[in-house]
Amino acid sequence: MSRRAGEGGLRRGVLAAARAVRAANRGLATVMGGFAIAMVVVFLAVVILRYGFGIGLIWLQESAQYLHAAIFLLAAAGAIVADAHVRVDVFRARMEPAMQRRVEIAGHLLLLLPFAAFLLWATIPYVAESWRIEETSVESSGLPFVYLLKTLMPVAAAQLGLQALASAALLSLGGESVAAPHHDEAL
Amino acid sequence: MAAIAVVMFFVVCAVLLLGYPVAFTLAGVALWFALLGVGLGVFEAGQLLDIASRVYGTMSNATLMAVPLFVFMGVMLERSRLAEDLLQTMGALFGRLRGGLLASVVVVGALLAASTGIVGATVVAMGLISMPTLLARGVAPPLASGAICAAGTLGQIIPPSIVLVLLGDVLSSAYQQAQLRQGIWSVETVSVGDLFAGALIPGLVLVAVYVVYVLIAAQRAPRADSESLEREPTPSLWRLATALMPPIALIVLVLGAILGGYATATEAAGVGAGGAVLLAGLRGKLNAVELLATAKQTVTVTTMVFMILVGASMFAMVFNAYGGDGLIQDALQGLPGGPIAALVCVMLLMFLLGFVLDFIEIVFVVVPIVAVPLLMMGLDPIWLGVLMAMNLQTSFLTPPFGFALFYLRGVAPPEVATTDIYRGVVPFIGLQVAVLLLVALVPVLATWLPGLLS
Repeated sequence: MSRRAGEGGLRRGVLAAARAVRAANRGLATVMGGFAIAMVVVFLAVVILRYGFGIGLIWLQESAQYLHAAIFLLAAAGAIVADAHVRVDVFRARMEPAMQRRVEIAGHLLLLLPFAAFLLWATIPYVAESWRIEETSVESSGLPFVYLLKTLMPVAAAQLGLQALASAALLSLGGESVAAPHHDEAL
Repeated sequence: MAAIAVVMFFVVCAVLLLGYPVAFTLAGVALWFALLGVGLGVFEAGQLLDIASRVYGTMSNATLMAVPLFVFMGVMLERSRLAEDLLQTMGALFGRLRGGLLASVVVVGALLAASTGIVGATVVAMGLISMPTLLARGVAPPLASGAICAAGTLGQIIPPSIVLVLLGDVLSSAYQQAQLRQGIWSVETVSVGDLFAGALIPGLVLVAVYVVYVLIAAQRAPRADSESLEREPTPSLWRLATALMPPIALIVLVLGAILGGYATATEAAGVGAGGAVLLAGLRGKLNAVELLATAKQTVTVTTMVFMILVGASMFAMVFNAYGGDGLIQDALQGLPGGPIAALVCVMLLMFLLGFVLDFIEIVFVVVPIVAVPLLMMGLDPIWLGVLMAMNLQTSFLTPPFGFALFYLRGVAPPEVATTDIYRGVVPFIGLQVAVLLLVALVPVLATWLPGLLS
């Protein structure tokens, strides 16, 4: 009896953690929307300064670069929540929902999770070296935060790995269906 | 061991069909094959650390920054209901001509394609707006469906298009590699702007051919009951100007800056994104909700594209570690018939892959592998890029798997049967193949403008 209650508690705990991961990744993707607007503004400023006033500000150009990299790396896990990553739909459309769910769980655990772990393993020494030398831009007037820029890679890898676990848990333990709760407009 | 690379390619294709997201399927399957390679002693585990600098290369690539900016521009224009206005105005202007409405669908499709560059959005918008009107005017469902799908896919080929940005970036590094491998150290370059210039004339030829075709097809169709419908008044010059001028001005500004060599594609994309916001503001469609929705959709599309790029670079890294690139190169160079036979082979392969894979996947996964040997055989990079773009455009239109057809099916009214859509696109596929062959046989159509501008 107490053991069953303990299992129920564990299950609830796992699901709560999974929902927290999902909420965090979704929230981060929303923040990236603000980054996208900022990127347009920064880029307009770059163009106006260059072609209007002949001023080329390398740090400004580079900050657009940072925004761009942050957008596509930090929103990647949130896009899984929104089911926005392209799939080959030819056969999937005809699959039973139970089969779709099995494919999804297997994909999360056998494809995405190992890749995220691999990306974390491969980027950490690369980023650590950059932190050690406090790597700056190759341009003398560029931004001196290349180590922060590179850190986005392991962060994204961790986000993807956690989201893979969270999505798999919600699908298997939480009984959620494959259809995303918030389906964004596709292209 | 290079055979394992080929096996990996087919395993990836098979796993992709299960329907798990493409980006992670590419990356995950490649990782398992990488572990196999390390286990077999084909390559060192340390070689795999290379993924970090590859991903960083993507993060610091200035050309690819054009992607989120162009996506932002396209989504903003789409959300500001530009398509509705354009279609209504053009329809009122040419609607009384037989086939005039169809011709306006094609022309508006081309304009939207140039300004948004998003195939799905163009097909969906035009399917929603013009399909009911076309059917009410007595246009046969197949002809209406064919025209909408064909016009929608123009977004691939008419610059500034996102896929041309991606293709241009991949081709430019392939072109450099091809020259370095031949021992040419003072490498010539090819830019996204070159590819835009190269695609412009073939794209316009395609538009002209479509317009001529729909006019002829409308003449030959049984007389429609268009006379019975009330005539819309001819639009005033002012209405015409307000509907047509802003998008055209934006296109001219963006394209002109790139083609004239005043700005890089990325800078022009930044101007385009700002211009789209301004345009939405002028049309009274700009508010915080719209802006945030546009930004959100931009982020989603951008991360989707770039995750495929990350997955594809993982795939390419492992494929090449097994010696797959050498294998493909030998196979293509060993074909009897030289570069032309190799080109035909690659084009057929891409056409078939286009049934199951998206343009982005093919550009990131297949083009880097096949483009280097083709370019080493002396094919012109711009001409090759334009042919690839047109080829994939055709494959997206071809039943039963063409993407454009799915998009239209999703929004077409139920009285339009799926077979109507399939039958309707057949003549347009024929026209596209004809224009593709024309560009293949007369390369100057693609190379004249870039040569003139450089």
